[in-house]
Amino acid sequence: MLTLTKDRALALVMLIVVGIMWMESGNIRPPTSWQPYGSALFPRILLVVIGLLSALILLRSLLSKLPSRTAPGRSFGEWVAYNRTVLSLFALFAAYAALLPLVGYIVATLGFLVASLALLLGIDSWRKWAINLGISLTLAPLVYAIFRFGLNVWLP
Amino acid sequence: MADFFLQALAQVGSPSVLGLIVIGVLFGIIGGSIPGFTVTMAILVVFPFTFAMDPVSGVSLMVGVFVGGYSGGIVSGVMLGIPGTPSSITTVYDGYPMAQKGEPGRALGIGVAASFLGTLISVAVLVFFGPLIASFSMNFRPWEITALIVFALTLVAGLSSGAMLKGLLAAALGLLITTVGYDRNSNLRFDFSVPALGSGFEILPVMIGIFAFSQLMGNLEKLRDEQDKAKGVDTNVAIPYATILRDMASQKLNTVRSSLIGSLVGALPGTGGTVANFISYDQAKKFSRHPERFGKGIPDGIVASEASNSAVAGGAFVPTLALGIPGDLPMAIMMGVLILHGITPGPLMFEQNPILVGAIYASLLIGAVIMVLCQLLLVRWFAKISLIPQEILIPVVLMLCAVGAYALNNNLFDIWVLFIFGVVGYLLWKAEVPLTPLILGVVLGDNLERQLFRALELDSNWMAFLTRPLSALFLALAVASVIFSLYQNHKIQRTHLKARRDDA
Repeated sequence: MLTLTKDRALALVMLIVVGIMWMESGNIRPPTSWQPYGSALFPRILLVVIGLLSALILLRSLLSKLPSRTAPGRSFGEWVAYNRTVLSLFALFAAYAALLPLVGYIVATLGFLVASLALLLGIDSWRKWAINLGISLTLAPLVYAIFRFGLNVWLP
Repeated sequence: MADFFLQALAQVGSPSVLGLIVIGVLFGIIGGSIPGFTVTMAILVVFPFTFAMDPVSGVSLMVGVFVGGYSGGIVSGVMLGIPGTPSSITTVYDGYPMAQKGEPGRALGIGVAASFLGTLISVAVLVFFGPLIASFSMNFRPWEITALIVFALTLVAGLSSGAMLKGLLAAALGLLITTVGYDRNSNLRFDFSVPALGSGFEILPVMIGIFAFSQLMGNLEKLRDEQDKAKGVDTNVAIPYATILRDMASQKLNTVRSSLIGSLVGALPGTGGTVANFISYDQAKKFSRHPERFGKGIPDGIVASEASNSAVAGGAFVPTLALGIPGDLPMAIMMGVLILHGITPGPLMFEQNPILVGAIYASLLIGAVIMVLCQLLLVRWFAKISLIPQEILIPVVLMLCAVGAYALNNNLFDIWVLFIFGVVGYLLWKAEVPLTPLILGVVLGDNLERQLFRALELDSNWMAFLTRPLSALFLALAVASVIFSLYQNHKIQRTHLKARRDDA
């Protein structure tokens, strides 16, 4: 049975992206008499190139005599458990982006820094909490002050 | 040019701009000295702070980060044995053993002196060759520029990590990203009925997302073990000035040769500090009377490595300023700064913005002097800062990236763009897709499409790209670079197969 290696996954995702983008390119206004090369031409050239390269990567991975450099055989659950720190950090960043317009820069940034530092540094000692809160409580207002008063840029 | 240079020097020499160069150099050294942070990340973090500045101030700050960043890698290289930035890998070969032998101050001093001289020599190269190439490229028309961009992208795709197909895929993806939103004919493309996509993606959040997230999350996975080395490092360093003067006096040829290699390699698209580093180290070893002492703590190795990687800074400005084609990632971001300030790098920049070109020269020179002073006076502090753990650095940098993306247009959508391209960049990095061609594609996409269609509007025959000599030459070079990279890949695969058969 064929295993899903990195190269095969990449090629398949790219081919799906190409398919979706190609269909969407049908919505681009067609060429006119004064614009013989329409707006869809350049992206379609790129889509063809990406499609061909993805097909080549897929073909090469199927024909390759070398074993895959990846470590196959890991279930989705194991993969999530293995990458939980990175995935949690992405989730925290998404939450930060969502909270910014609701609670403002200072509160959202404090929340993001405290939570992500706790995730990465750990929460098992008073020293770590002191470092966490010291950095968060200093940096969030400091960056706000630099942008607001030094660079005249309003943060939300 | 001399008049413009003096005018630029007067502007760059003003207290406020000098202050910015000092801040830039300090931040660059700190960025370069923290393992895994890299020059590019330092530039990305500082980039948003230039939004509210005039072009000379913004560019001077960024040049300061550049100069500092390329020299900063030596600190962690010598103290921890971990290159702070990929362009100082070979510094570790001799710097770390010298520090282990009880001479960290000597290793750092030699590295700083070589960095300084490397920067000065590369500025001379930039001053001499930049205008020459710019005046030559004034004859380029849309066919030549299109072919040159294609050549640069294929070269970068081939050289970036040896995976030619993935490199080309990344470059094409980067170009595709620039097609979202309204095009040159005011037609809407790929908006998927989402109004926010109508204006397309800003280069900055896309670049930061792709690079910063993949780098930082990658650091999380890789650097945990390496940081254990930081425990118990003695940061009490003293620089032995007299010894360093003697060392440098015996390294004149090595310094000049390595600086010229760095400048030349920096000027080639797709290469950069890392390539320059290895070539000049190899050459220094070949020319040395004691090649057997390389890797054991010889000054020659540190000089070759640091002179060449610092010389890359000046060399890399040559194609960026003269042709509008950035050779590597830091330069792509530098080009983003210029575009943000309403300046289009290319042949006309030398005519239309001579003061800004002069300001770049002057900032490089002043930055080099400030770099030496900062490194020599504050080296103990940089050594301490290089020990900052990634666990603290990563959340702080992510927060700064978010603020930078927002500050560009005061637009929250840009933070989501940053996040989405962060996820994309991380997944591509996991799939071993080189990210430099992707980012160059994003930077060059608009120009490539504009030049391609300008050429076709002037002459609808596609064969014109092959009948014009220079355009045909660039396209032939592009094809040759693809074939060469494929051949190399094939050779590497054959070697792997042979090794596996031998093991069996």
